[in-house]
Amino acid sequence: MNPIISARGLTKRFGRTVAADQVDLDIAAGKIVGLIGPNGAGKTTVMKAILGLTTFEGELDVLGLNPSKQRAALMEDVCFIADVAVLPRWIRVWQLVELTGKLHPKFSKETCLQYLSKTKISQQQKVKQLSKGMVTQLHLALVMAIDVKLLVLDEPTLGLDILYRKQFYSNLLNDYFDEERTILITTHQVEEVEHILTDLVFIDNGKIALNCGMDEVEARYTELMVAPANANAARALGPMNERELFGRHIFLFEDADRETLKQLGELHTPSVADLFVATMSGEMA
Amino acid sequence: MTRLIALMRREFWEHKSAFRTAPLVIGGIHIALLLKAIFTTAHIDNELYTFKEGVRALAQQSADFRSAHFQEAIIASSVFFTIVLSFVVFFYLLGALFDDRKDRSILFWKSMPASDVLTVASKLLTAMVVVPVMFWLVFIVTQVLMAVIASIMIMSVGENPWTLFLILVNPIGPWLMVLFSYLASAIWFLPLYGWLLFTSSFAPRIPVLFAIIPPVIFAVLQLWIEFLRTFTLNTSLFGLVGEWVSNSPAILTIQVHDGDAELAYGWVGAGTFDHAITVGNIIDRLFSLQMLYGLLIAAVFLAGAVWMRRRATDS
Repeated sequence: MNPIISARGLTKRFGRTVAADQVDLDIAAGKIVGLIGPNGAGKTTVMKAILGLTTFEGELDVLGLNPSKQRAALMEDVCFIADVAVLPRWIRVWQLVELTGKLHPKFSKETCLQYLSKTKISQQQKVKQLSKGMVTQLHLALVMAIDVKLLVLDEPTLGLDILYRKQFYSNLLNDYFDEERTILITTHQVEEVEHILTDLVFIDNGKIALNCGMDEVEARYTELMVAPANANAARALGPMNERELFGRHIFLFEDADRETLKQLGELHTPSVADLFVATMSGEMA
Repeated sequence: MTRLIALMRREFWEHKSAFRTAPLVIGGIHIALLLKAIFTTAHIDNELYTFKEGVRALAQQSADFRSAHFQEAIIASSVFFTIVLSFVVFFYLLGALFDDRKDRSILFWKSMPASDVLTVASKLLTAMVVVPVMFWLVFIVTQVLMAVIASIMIMSVGENPWTLFLILVNPIGPWLMVLFSYLASAIWFLPLYGWLLFTSSFAPRIPVLFAIIPPVIFAVLQLWIEFLRTFTLNTSLFGLVGEWVSNSPAILTIQVHDGDAELAYGWVGAGTFDHAITVGNIIDRLFSLQMLYGLLIAAVFLAGAVWMRRRATDS
């Protein structure tokens, strides 16, 4: 099957800094991909390139189009929420719905109004009168009413309280996602999205540090928790990373023999956050 | 086409107070001034008249005299609208490609399948057509209201508004002339509109400074170098812009013609065209060599604006 996004040697420079460095990336349809990296790693640059918001070197193909040259055509099949509060502040809710309907051929006004009716947002309100959480609900209602193939979310829940954050992702999964659609998410709040992701991409210093499916993560990475007495034995097996928690040592192993590890202590599947820390600190060392 | 109209509606919604409230305020001022003249006194030829005296004096003038003066008065009362209109258009264009970069809502607009050419076109057409037509409509409504108020008051002092002015004046001609002048001016000033949109598309902050300071520095240098070379103050960017305004088909000044003061296009006393208010004089301007150069310059600036817009994001 053809990938929805395919990048070869994607590079973007800002003066001397290289924000994206020879990125190769393929994303297939029907996936929920988490693009995760530290601040300034190049996540947003890669996203902007995919959305046609920046120029770049190298090859990039999104749904068969070149984003930097064919943004308008691409936006018929791609939607994005670039963090909260980018909706124009002066506009009234009904005007926004009306305009989106006129500008986007795949927008369903009925669906959008249906989603909005489940919120406290009223049609006559201006965006600047809404709380941050309500603006996100509004944006999500607009986007979920557009029938697109790719949805890109850049820090969609930044600054929202936990109730809105939970609701955001549950709406997205229950009412929107299906096999035809692909969702690409960047976020710092890894814990929040890890159970909904199907694929994981780590990016650091403009390079892809890890790119695999979540099932692969479970198969490849193991976390071992041992008492101090066994710490040296574990260290000898060459872990990616070690940390201490309440006097116990926790090691992260890649492609290790589980039978050997089991004899030293307890085994777990690592969380994405721990894997992230291990991968990034490995790079830094 | 649907998208272009939708984008222009968006401009109207966003700038309702400038596009609709501003002309309404000017209309209100006109009516307030009329009421002031009715209920207190008015200056006519350096003498104070009460309304009643003024109407009597007017009734004694010949029908031709009244017809000509009312005709002139209709066009004259457009000047205030025109001046405010030019300010509104100026600041609208400066903000057009800047405001959404500043508040980051450009990220939302760019998530819609509308091309950057279409976006820039919608802003340019709003400045060229939507805003002038709004001002023009309010201008007409104001005049109708003023005629109604004046007629009632004229009847109340025992004169007949029909014979005094209503049947003498056909306002349609002057009204259409004002509209034609607005639309022709929008074309005439395209190089300026292009420059403003271009500045708006790249200015990192305070676009008005970026629009004004570089040309001023350029013109001052030009003047200085020219002066050092020839010891005369002659052509410069200032002169060029001044001449452009002088030649414009906007009704802005008064010229004296056969001993009578009458309204005129542009800035009388400068420029190379006939300033008398006729359709032919507008056509002369629109099909002149200057206009052709102007359109070429405008095309360069507009292409620059589209190019910048294509690359613009929130940062």
